[in-house]
Amino acid sequence: MNLTFVRLELRRFFRDRVSVFFVAILPAFFFIIFGAAQSYGGESAGNGNVTMYVMISMAAYGAVTATTGIGGTAAVERMQGWGRQLGLTPLTDGSFVATKALVALTVATIPITLIFVLGAFTGAAGDARAWALSAAAVLVGGWVLSLYGLAAGLAFRSEAAVGATSGGLVILAFLGNIFIPLSGTMLAIAKFTPLYGYVSLARYPITEGRLIDGSGTVVDIEPLWVPLLNVGVWAVVLGLLATWLVRRGRARQ
Amino acid sequence: MTSTHSATPAIELRGLLKSFRPARGTRRGRSHARGSGRPTTPSTSTSTEIRAVDGLDLTIQPGEVVAFLGPNGAGKTTTLDIVLGLTEPTAGSAQVFGRRPRGAVQEGLVSAVLQSGGLLRDLTVRETIELVASTLPSPAGVDEVLARAGLTDLDSRLVATCSGGEQQRLRFALALLPEPDLLVLDEPTAGMDASARRDFWATMRADAGLGRTIVFATHYLEEADAFADRIVLVAGGRVVADGSTAEIRARAGRRQVSADLPEDTLERARVLHAVRDLPAVTETAEHGRRIVVSSSDSDTVARALIVDLDLRGLEITSPSLESAFVSLTEPHAQPADLEENAR
Repeated sequence: MNLTFVRLELRRFFRDRVSVFFVAILPAFFFIIFGAAQSYGGESAGNGNVTMYVMISMAAYGAVTATTGIGGTAAVERMQGWGRQLGLTPLTDGSFVATKALVALTVATIPITLIFVLGAFTGAAGDARAWALSAAAVLVGGWVLSLYGLAAGLAFRSEAAVGATSGGLVILAFLGNIFIPLSGTMLAIAKFTPLYGYVSLARYPITEGRLIDGSGTVVDIEPLWVPLLNVGVWAVVLGLLATWLVRRGRARQ
Repeated sequence: MTSTHSATPAIELRGLLKSFRPARGTRRGRSHARGSGRPTTPSTSTSTEIRAVDGLDLTIQPGEVVAFLGPNGAGKTTTLDIVLGLTEPTAGSAQVFGRRPRGAVQEGLVSAVLQSGGLLRDLTVRETIELVASTLPSPAGVDEVLARAGLTDLDSRLVATCSGGEQQRLRFALALLPEPDLLVLDEPTAGMDASARRDFWATMRADAGLGRTIVFATHYLEEADAFADRIVLVAGGRVVADGSTAEIRARAGRRQVSADLPEDTLERARVLHAVRDLPAVTETAEHGRRIVVSSSDSDTVARALIVDLDLRGLEITSPSLESAFVSLTEPHAQPADLEENAR
């Protein structure tokens, strides 16, 4: 792995204050509003309380925003023809994707760390195993979904792509059962969307598959293979898409 | 790997052919070709295809400085993209120092200053060089290439705040990083003002003395004239002329001698008749009040016009590289689908 490349990419990310706000500050703010400040926060959600459930959800949202943001920078790079410049170096398609994914993973740890620390101070409670496994799942899942940002960024290739993918992310977060608990038909649809498996896995250490509706009632118990299959299929689809788009981007634009 | 390829051509292109399907991917494809569907086989005669490169043969030896000239859409950039491994030919072969192009790039034997090669606006000049250097197996020193490209004082400047000429010098610095044996420049001075162009070529010239092979595409004929040993003229995706600058200029035709004609009609007829009988005259023409004579022996014609025929206002003109360019590329102008370059 080319650490100079990763270091310089990280420096670029921190130079852009606006994306730092959307990646780190906004999801933390969402957590305070929807999690820490709510009266139901202390109620049980399985192996942890509701505040912890919301904490994991918002950390996942922040991590995905981070990885999508990195994909957005890839889009702008394509527009500027940076892909052709890199095409003149020995850098392979695989290491380009891997470098971007590692940068996205590193940036994703920022909202996760921030929100988990905030959660610890504002009443998120759960067993130690749930804390550790959830954090790991948010991070690893965010890494997988960096492919979503990368693929979308490579496909649209314009500065507007950054806005479009972020906008799309809010919709995918609603559809993926991140912001509000879904039920019925919406939940059935949700299971096919790319963020569903990710956030379900991240919450699994607390919920152990229990699906709750808006009133907090357990409506179903979902086997572990459903979110795993969702993440696995989306990882393969997005990975192939991203690799194909990098190849296409090298040809003259 | 260092000197073993001295007998191998720097670039060898054989029957190179590149066609694009304009329906998708090439946004500048002709609209009439849209919606007609993709051909199921890569057939070469389908009307939906654009042939940017059409059977191009070219060999460039190590150490040559070659200008790649041609009108817009001649296939210059596509050919250079193939040499750089940025795109694959549809047919034919391309070798760079006896290797496939991508292999030569990976070994650091070839690098380029691209016309549309983008830079990251939110990196500094030094960071950009560091980043590209980090992808290479044994790059030159960052400070060294900064100095060679004249960027030492700008190293902490953000790329976004650099002028076009400064950005082009940065692309040049990036191209120097692998210490390439072959340097390709695709219209390196496009969009620069005259003084930035002069600076750029001064920097290039300082580096060219190292025996490096240089191939550059340009729109500026005077750049080809001043900098190249050899000119390759491309039109319609083929090489239409190839030779030294003087040879190319000579192919445009002969020198022309012109002078004022007498006002008197009889006198004028006598002069015209006399001129046609002069030795080595290939063509005479009346342009208003002037006579224009093309000849392989312009000195004799000039003497005859002034001394024997007592004409005034004499002028002798050499064919310019520009007229060579026009006369050599125009007969090859083809139907629209051949001219179209899938940029």
